[in-house]
Amino acid sequence: MSGNRLAQEQQPVYAPCTAACPVHTDTRQLVEFIVEGRYEDALELLLEANPFSSVCGRICHHPCEQSCRRSKVDAPVGLMRLKRFVVEAMRDYRLSRRTAGGPPQKREKVAVIGSGPAGLTAAGDLAREGFRPVVFERSATPGGLLGNAIPRYRLPYAVVKEDIDDILARGVELRTAVTVGQDLLLEDLFAEGFAAVLIATGLSESRTLAIPGIDSRGVLLALPFLRTVLSSQPPAVGRRVVVIGGGNVAVDVARTARRLGAEKVTMVCLESREEMPAWSWEVEETEEEGVQIMPSWGPRSVFGEDGELKGLELRRCTAVFDSDGRFSPRFDENDTATIVADNLIIAIGQRGNLTCLRGSGVETDGPDRIRWDPGTLATSREGVFACGEVATGPGSAVEAVFDGHRAAKAIVHYLETDELLEQPPMELPHIGEIPDEVAEKVPVLSPVAAEVLSPEDRVRDFSEIERGFTEAEALAEARRCLACTTGALVDEERCAGCLTCVRICPFGVATVEQTAAMPQEECMACGLCAAQCPAAAIALKRFGTNQMREMVQPVVMELKKRAGAEAAVIVSYCCLFEITGRDFIRRAQEEYPPRGIVPVLVPCVARLSVADLLSPFEVGADGLVVIGCSEGSCLYPTAEQRVMERIRRAKGVLAEIGLESERIDYWRTERSAEASWTAFWELSQRKLSRIRSASEERRR
Amino acid sequence: MIVAERKPLAEIRGFVDDYRRILILGCGTCATVCLAGGEAEVKVVAAGLRISFLRDEKEVEILEDCVTRQCEPEFVADLPRKVQDEGVGAVVSLGCGVGVNFLAQTLETVPVFPGVNTEFFGAAVEPGVWLEMCAGCGNCILHLTGGICPIARCSKSILNGPCGGSRDGKCEINPEVECGWALIVERMKKLGTLDRLAEILPPRDWSTSHHGGPRKVIHPEAAPAAIGQGKAEQ
Ligand SMILES: Cc1cc2nc3c(=O)[nH]c(=O)nc-3n(C[C@H](O)[C@H](O)[C@H](O)COP(=O)(O)OP(=O)(O)OC[C@H]3O[C@@H](n4cnc5c(N)ncnc54)[C@H](O)[C@@H]3O)c2cc1C
Ligand code: SF4
Repeated sequence: MSGNRLAQEQQPVYAPCTAACPVHTDTRQLVEFIVEGRYEDALELLLEANPFSSVCGRICHHPCEQSCRRSKVDAPVGLMRLKRFVVEAMRDYRLSRRTAGGPPQKREKVAVIGSGPAGLTAAGDLAREGFRPVVFERSATPGGLLGNAIPRYRLPYAVVKEDIDDILARGVELRTAVTVGQDLLLEDLFAEGFAAVLIATGLSESRTLAIPGIDSRGVLLALPFLRTVLSSQPPAVGRRVVVIGGGNVAVDVARTARRLGAEKVTMVCLESREEMPAWSWEVEETEEEGVQIMPSWGPRSVFGEDGELKGLELRRCTAVFDSDGRFSPRFDENDTATIVADNLIIAIGQRGNLTCLRGSGVETDGPDRIRWDPGTLATSREGVFACGEVATGPGSAVEAVFDGHRAAKAIVHYLETDELLEQPPMELPHIGEIPDEVAEKVPVLSPVAAEVLSPEDRVRDFSEIERGFTEAEALAEARRCLACTTGALVDEERCAGCLTCVRICPFGVATVEQTAAMPQEECMACGLCAAQCPAAAIALKRFGTNQMREMVQPVVMELKKRAGAEAAVIVSYCCLFEITGRDFIRRAQEEYPPRGIVPVLVPCVARLSVADLLSPFEVGADGLVVIGCSEGSCLYPTAEQRVMERIRRAKGVLAEIGLESERIDYWRTERSAEASWTAFWELSQRKLSRIRSASEERRR
Repeated sequence: MIVAERKPLAEIRGFVDDYRRILILGCGTCATVCLAGGEAEVKVVAAGLRISFLRDEKEVEILEDCVTRQCEPEFVADLPRKVQDEGVGAVVSLGCGVGVNFLAQTLETVPVFPGVNTEFFGAAVEPGVWLEMCAGCGNCILHLTGGICPIARCSKSILNGPCGGSRDGKCEINPEVECGWALIVERMKKLGTLDRLAEILPPRDWSTSHHGGPRKVIHPEAAPAAIGQGKAEQ
């Protein structure tokens, strides 16, 4: 086979979204499943990579989107929301697969301390490997910070629970309200027969500030504050609340304070607006909710009366980092400000609580960091491993999940071989960005906006602020995916170097030097060249159309056999992207064939060659109905014109052998598949039935 | 390149009407590039024939294949066995006439029918448009005519043109056809060598062309064994 193809297959190159995702979710494939209405497969794919898919569909920092190549054209594909759509649409399916039962529990017990995403992911993997994990959790509600810190307006607990219940169903035992190091020592665990221990206790303490007056009443710390908000007795806050910090936690605290009734909430942070570590979209939403941001200010002192907070004094922060990028704030003591406050909430970072190590002999790095090997995840004591934020420091939920997977591998290897497994950091090779000259030729498709409550409604309570995609929205958004890495592959042995691809490629990608070449970075995977190549030397990595005849043959033959079939039998190639609900795909495939209409969904009908257009006739169909996308919605320039040219040629072939060329119809979708296709099929079928009888008449 | 055009399907159908297993064989070189007989066109012809036989309720098996070049022994070496093993009754070649000839010799007892009309040696002057530019006369005189061939591009193949039928750069046989000699004159003006046309070219020895019978070329390095044989024939 071709050198091109071999070279590419030997060294797989990934879509950037997949490479950027800490757990390497095959997002491109996920979107393809969605487009095809294969939501079950999509869910399986998600859960295989990430047992916290419900959570991550809501609050992931989505590095996949940040690396999406579509950004160069307009805006990234809304991958996080697509994931949320899949888990929401597949809730029942997920429950049914859960009860399917796990593998037998036969091997060693493993203790996991902490039920955050890291600990639970590891426990889930261990259970799947046949081990018996037991998770110890200090709090009454499992989930770590997901369950005990992140506000419900972003992450309802039911969502967290969905993921957790799934994991527990694999055969993970959970013991809540147990503080290891207090109620139970590490030693006791080994004595109880646990073969290994995983420390996944996260960062559960808030850091505080060492400034005068900080112990005044009314000064709170972020995590305890958020925790009590989630408890049955939410705290009362004053009218004016100041939050110190510019990260995501500070943002959550400020927005929570607004929801608790504070009228004036101000965020004070050292960083300039651009340097603020919180995600830009979170900062925007926070401001919409009426929170005021004071960037480049630092607290100097807290003032009060009788130990009661009254306000704080600020000084201008002139630089946060030194020339080496280390945190080293500098202030202009002459530029000061005063701000009154009824409450001050400090959200300047989290640290670990190493109670669980009490008396264990496991070495630490200072008071709140565990000493551990980032490659093997081993601690200084044999059989004790660490993962998640307690080891890695602050990060995101999906990074904790990733670390949980690694920890499970490390422990399985240890228990099976008595040795440590080195897991070096791995980066997936990924396809580069779209060159400017190609990007400017890609039609702009604005992202589908997810419906968000108005800021006024949002601050009223803790209801979730964003509605998930409807199915139609999800399908419309999925259409925007550029299907990176699935482009044209040339079989060099067949390529005659004829230049057809060069002349036809609407993105100016194909070149010929001896044989054709379509660099992966540039190819937009439209397939126009493959359908036109006279040597049939171009294949696409997905959605090949070269099996059309085999696909329609059995159905058409069956229909033709049925006695008394009055109506003409037609095959209809239709643009998959025009469907707004998968129910229609099912109906198209189940309900229409008995009526003589055999729909075949293709991602862009311009992928069909002249031979593909003739295939239905070869197997005995009376006619062909091609339905392209709606006006102006095609993903590929010139595609419609190419389909029309090929249809003209196919009609010519029919005429050459004495068949009516009107046996091929072309329709353009109007509004959606659901809204227009049935009418097209009926019109064409009526016409074809007439043509058929007239032609039978003539032949008699 | 050799330029060909596919024959109408009705004509091809006429050739193979009496056969039950028919192989459509494409050619991966010239016929592919001129879009007349590559693998994609094999599929189209095969589909067309299948549809046509189906309508007449004739059970016919159409096989498809394409070789790199139908005019080289190595590329068609497997064909006789394949044709025999698969019980092929007739072959439709979508290669140029050379391919048809070569296959006919190779396959001995199985009929080979032409699926294309072989037109000329030409260039793709724009996508999908080919123009005849060489007549393969066996004695190139392009150095005398500014690189433009009077044999191929003048309708009358005259050596001292243009004739009286040249009108505004077009040939009298058809206003669509460019006058080859007008092209030669324009070209030689640009080269500053127009004066050379004053010299009258003497009548040509056409024996180097097809007029001298079928020709043969022997490359001394590639075919040392054939040299004696070639000389003997000259
Ligand atoms: C306010 C806030 C907002 C956030 N928002 C986002 C976001 O939008 N997106 C995102 O991706 N990430 C976000 N994060 C980060 C995310 O929550 C963490 O990255 C993740 O939870 C870390 O997982 P972990 O398993 O390492 O630890 P944790 O989630 O902290 O879990 C550790 C668990 O161990 C338990 N534990 C501790 N000590 C003991 C003990 N001695 N015995 C028994 N149990 C013990 C704790 O109670 C806790 O349940 C946010 C964090 C916070 C604080
Ligand atoms: S025509 Fe389409 S599939 Fe072919 S190289 Fe160009 S972008 Fe890629």
